[in-house]
Amino acid sequence: MKRLWRDTLFKRLFILMWVALVVSHLVAYNIVTRFVLDVPSRPPGGFRGSLLLPSLPPTPGVPGDPMMGEGEGTAGLPAQPPRVGGVGGRNPPPPSMHDDGPPDDGPRGFVLPTGALLLDYGVRFLIIGLAAWWGARWVSAPMRRLATASRTLARSIGSHEPPPHLDESNGTVEVRDAAHVFNEMGRELDDQFRGRGLLVAALSHDLRTPLTRMRMRLESIESDAAQRCIADVREMDELIDSSLALFRGVGHAEAAQRVDVLALAQSLCDDLAEQGHAVSASGHEAAVADAQPMALRRVLSNLISNALRYGERADVTVLQEAQSVTVIVDDSGPGIPQAQMERVFQPFFRAENSRNRTTGGTGLGLYIARDLIRRQGGALTLANRPEGGLRATLTLPASR
Amino acid sequence: MTRCLLVDDDCEIRVSLSDYLQRFGMSVLGVGNGAQMRRVVKSERFDVVILDVMLPDDNGFDLCRWLRQEHQTPIIMLTAQGDPISRVVGLEIGADDYVGKPFEPRELVARINAVLRRAPAGDAERGDQPRSVKFEGWSLDRMQRLLVSSSQVVVALSNAEYRLLIAFVDHPGRVLSRDQLVDFTVTPGVEVNHRSVDLAVSRLRQKLGDSPREPSLIRTVRGEGYLFDAKVSA
Repeated sequence: MKRLWRDTLFKRLFILMWVALVVSHLVAYNIVTRFVLDVPSRPPGGFRGSLLLPSLPPTPGVPGDPMMGEGEGTAGLPAQPPRVGGVGGRNPPPPSMHDDGPPDDGPRGFVLPTGALLLDYGVRFLIIGLAAWWGARWVSAPMRRLATASRTLARSIGSHEPPPHLDESNGTVEVRDAAHVFNEMGRELDDQFRGRGLLVAALSHDLRTPLTRMRMRLESIESDAAQRCIADVREMDELIDSSLALFRGVGHAEAAQRVDVLALAQSLCDDLAEQGHAVSASGHEAAVADAQPMALRRVLSNLISNALRYGERADVTVLQEAQSVTVIVDDSGPGIPQAQMERVFQPFFRAENSRNRTTGGTGLGLYIARDLIRRQGGALTLANRPEGGLRATLTLPASR
Repeated sequence: MTRCLLVDDDCEIRVSLSDYLQRFGMSVLGVGNGAQMRRVVKSERFDVVILDVMLPDDNGFDLCRWLRQEHQTPIIMLTAQGDPISRVVGLEIGADDYVGKPFEPRELVARINAVLRRAPAGDAERGDQPRSVKFEGWSLDRMQRLLVSSSQVVVALSNAEYRLLIAFVDHPGRVLSRDQLVDFTVTPGVEVNHRSVDLAVSRLRQKLGDSPREPSLIRTVRGEGYLFDAKVSA
């Protein structure tokens, strides 16, 4: 018995359709009979139909309707009159159309006027339409909430926020079940991601201690091999750094600020020039973007060091446009084969020509860079320059 | 002789780092946990404390805070957690510097020397070094190395510009000779000379919006050096 009373989607749909159809028929019928047709208060004697139950009335005015009074010359009779008696009980309206006289005895050849017909159709159309519109919204609202929550879930898991929560106490049984399952899934995913982040942080800590030991030991060895080992230690440290950035979502907690992009590019280039690298920075001075300063610094520094690593030099140009600030980093290396242009953004992927050289790198830099830039509403693309070398183009929303 | 206290739970790092620092004329006492550290700090005097964040019995941050309340000894935090947040936390609770593991041994020596150079100028001076300072509408965050303009635009500084600006901010209203500026901004691995100081000054003026013809913020004092002409407040 309890099952029968449960608030299910099936029941809601069933009741909604049923009520909408019945109400539309009743209302349309009443309006047409009361206000359009002049209704006398005498039941039409000639019809057994006057005792019909208020079931769904047939379309009015259609000649030859099988529901019309049996045996009579139904051809021209309006459909309603017989049923009105049943519906209203008190005003059984005879189908008087053109004359005021009681038209109830004997079949008379007349039809429902077009106006009344249209009104009748119109009212039904309107009520069913409204009910369908409202009902569809009503029934699909939980679906929309679920979709919104799912979108938020993907974002919140990626950026280490608490997962979205759906209301589990309202709605039909199906909706409440789905909300419950969704909430549980969100919690589970969040736990798993947190766990993974902690694992990576713990690993990074435990790796850095032996690396420090190794680095100290290398200090007491004077040889070429020791120098190469020191370089390896640095590379491992870089890899740990990038992995940490990946799992912690570096830059997420950082607030967006207005950043002078040219000053940033210049400062990075100055630091590298100090160490003897071939770098240059130029561009529009008032280029100010809305960005997370540390994250943007990380991205730009990654692009510039990539250019130096694979392309010998880095030339940075900062351009202020109407809606955006564009940063272009050019190098003069071999570029990337067109087929691999998108794949270099995948984690741990390294372009073929970079693997053959002892250039190092973790294969995470571009992946993290694009991720960080997208979170700030920007874009990062790569292209081979016609004159040779690779061009990285970074676009950020301009600050107003 | 510089006396260092090294607090790290890893025995081999303690031994090898002690050996290494001794080459630079420092005497090192290594302890493996927080309890030991609290004990030796009470009985002996140290010029600098090198403190690991992760210790078996104690949190390096708590130790740092405790040490800061008791003593004025400079503290350099060592940590394997490379994220910028713990760096900021460490510096906010009173550490003087921060070195991430695995560090370059030479860099650690340079940091120790830098901290020691700042310390003798008086504990008072180091104590009133606030995290961020303001001048002429600009604000400079020492920890994050962020310079923010009066219209809230973040203006990034290169290392050379940052060191120079710190030197100016620490000595407002005083004429600093090029030699002094070289001394203040020297750093291992980079050649700092009169020419590089001049270059950094002109870049800094550009970033600060100071006109190169008639600079009002970083003024050139002919024959003497540069003068940072601004009121610096915390």
